[in-house]
Amino acid sequence: MKLIEADTEEGPAKIGIFNCGGRLFAIEDRCSHDDGPLAEGEFDASACTVECPRHGSLFDLTSGRPKTLPAYQPVRTFPVAIEDDTIKLEVS
Amino acid sequence: MNKPPDTATVSASAKELTDEERSLEGINSDYTEKFGFHDSEEGYAYKAPKGLNREIVESISDYKNEPAWMREFRLKAYDHFVSRPTPQWGGNLNQIDWNDIHYFVRASEKNSRDWSEVPEDIKNTFDRLGIPEAERKFLSGVGAQYESEVVYHQVNEKLEAQGVIFTDMDTALREHEDLVREYWATIIPPNDNKLAALNSAVWSGGSFVYVPAGVKVDMPLQAYFRINTENMGQFERTLIIAEEGSDVHYIEGCTAPTYSSDSLHSAVVEIVAKKSARVRYTTVQNWSQNVFNLVTKRAVAHEDATMEWVDCNLGSKLTMKYPSIYLMGERAHGEILSIAFAGKGQHQDAGGKIIHAAPKTTSSIFSKSISKDAGRATYRGLLEIAKGATESKSKVVCDALLLDEDSRSDTYPTIRIGEDNVDVGHEATVSKVGDDMVYYLQSRGLDEEEASKMIVNGFIEPITKELPMEYAVEMNRLIELQMEGSIG
Repeated sequence: MKLIEADTEEGPAKIGIFNCGGRLFAIEDRCSHDDGPLAEGEFDASACTVECPRHGSLFDLTSGRPKTLPAYQPVRTFPVAIEDDTIKLEVS
Repeated sequence: MNKPPDTATVSASAKELTDEERSLEGINSDYTEKFGFHDSEEGYAYKAPKGLNREIVESISDYKNEPAWMREFRLKAYDHFVSRPTPQWGGNLNQIDWNDIHYFVRASEKNSRDWSEVPEDIKNTFDRLGIPEAERKFLSGVGAQYESEVVYHQVNEKLEAQGVIFTDMDTALREHEDLVREYWATIIPPNDNKLAALNSAVWSGGSFVYVPAGVKVDMPLQAYFRINTENMGQFERTLIIAEEGSDVHYIEGCTAPTYSSDSLHSAVVEIVAKKSARVRYTTVQNWSQNVFNLVTKRAVAHEDATMEWVDCNLGSKLTMKYPSIYLMGERAHGEILSIAFAGKGQHQDAGGKIIHAAPKTTSSIFSKSISKDAGRATYRGLLEIAKGATESKSKVVCDALLLDEDSRSDTYPTIRIGEDNVDVGHEATVSKVGDDMVYYLQSRGLDEEEASKMIVNGFIEPITKELPMEYAVEMNRLIELQMEGSIG
């Protein structure tokens, strides 16, 4: 997981970029349950999920949707593309 | 933890107690005689040494011969439990000595479906508590958990033929592993809170209920939980899945012997009510006053589903329990009815949480508390209406009755509203049993004692009327018992 900061259309945000077996996914580093940091939670590359370290909600990195409570709303996701050797993130 | 926006602490004004108020003292005064007895531990199959470590967790999993994923789940949860600090809000959890608890006690080697096969001592205990009688009279199925495991389980054959599963959680994991795994910890993950992590690490027993689509379970299913050993930890785990259009009412009751040292009960209950299903979950909690009762209960209600918690807290030293409902589908409905008695040395920190996550969802929370003898009752609740949950409606009512000047009632309501087009109401009252009320009833021909009983029963009536007849009678009996003999 790589954590970056970027200016998005909703303002500055931290974004976590994950490598699920060669496919890259990016989500905002903010749990939809209580706004706590999310990206540094336990990452399962095979299931392509990250677990919120604060209350345990499991997020599907491909969609941003929670697979378990207590979070019930998706987190923001960002399209990722690889061009040559550069990872490009669409943030606005 | 979100800081509540509004906090109200109220104590009854200091003045001489009336006879009527004195007559209300002593709730559950027959507890020792009726529920507080204990059996010999002779013949127990296994009792883990006190304290918790990875080896104890592994030994529970080994003992139950569980699949590898469950063993890993337990160990990961144990790490969460160890790494999380003890919560410093609600009741005083610093009193708990985590190393002075037996985390797993197996009283009997087998879980029987034949009452005659249950070990004699245990059978006598449940006979004394009226469990087999209740099963014969008005239940569709019953489970009896003694210490860490279920010793008796039975379900109506007709329901079984319709595909209803009602069994203990250990058996469910062995016989319906795929179904259990699909829903397991999706409602309450192990890292939800410290006590959920503890339960996830050392869980044992509890109920698994599966109701197929369209099946209505006419009479309630009941589980009864009994702690016998001193310094015992009971950690049952319950999962209820109600498929589309199904209907089920689950009731649980619990008691324990009265000891001078503390025990711990920490359950996790997860419920899924699918489209148009209805689930009612009723608790009559009557633990002895040396039990910490720290429970996480949460339900999801999908489109047009109805979820109801009826939560009666009479016993325990400290209860911290806030049943939750996530209304995830349009027109889903949630209801929480909570009643709490806080007597001498008791703190009932109860309430409920409802989250409206879809449009046109409706809910209500009705909380009633009675505090006496310096007891403390707390209402702690959350009502959340998410963005997008338009045209939703909710009403929260919390009423507190204080029976003497030393008792205490606190209200911590949190309301978050993310939509404009919604209808939300909140009411809270605190009252005393007043001389004028008693005088009025006396003028109608009642004596003082009858008048006091009527006032208290009237106060809790909105909740007791939702209980099955047998439980309503028992609740009223408990109240009346406390009020006898102190007038005149």
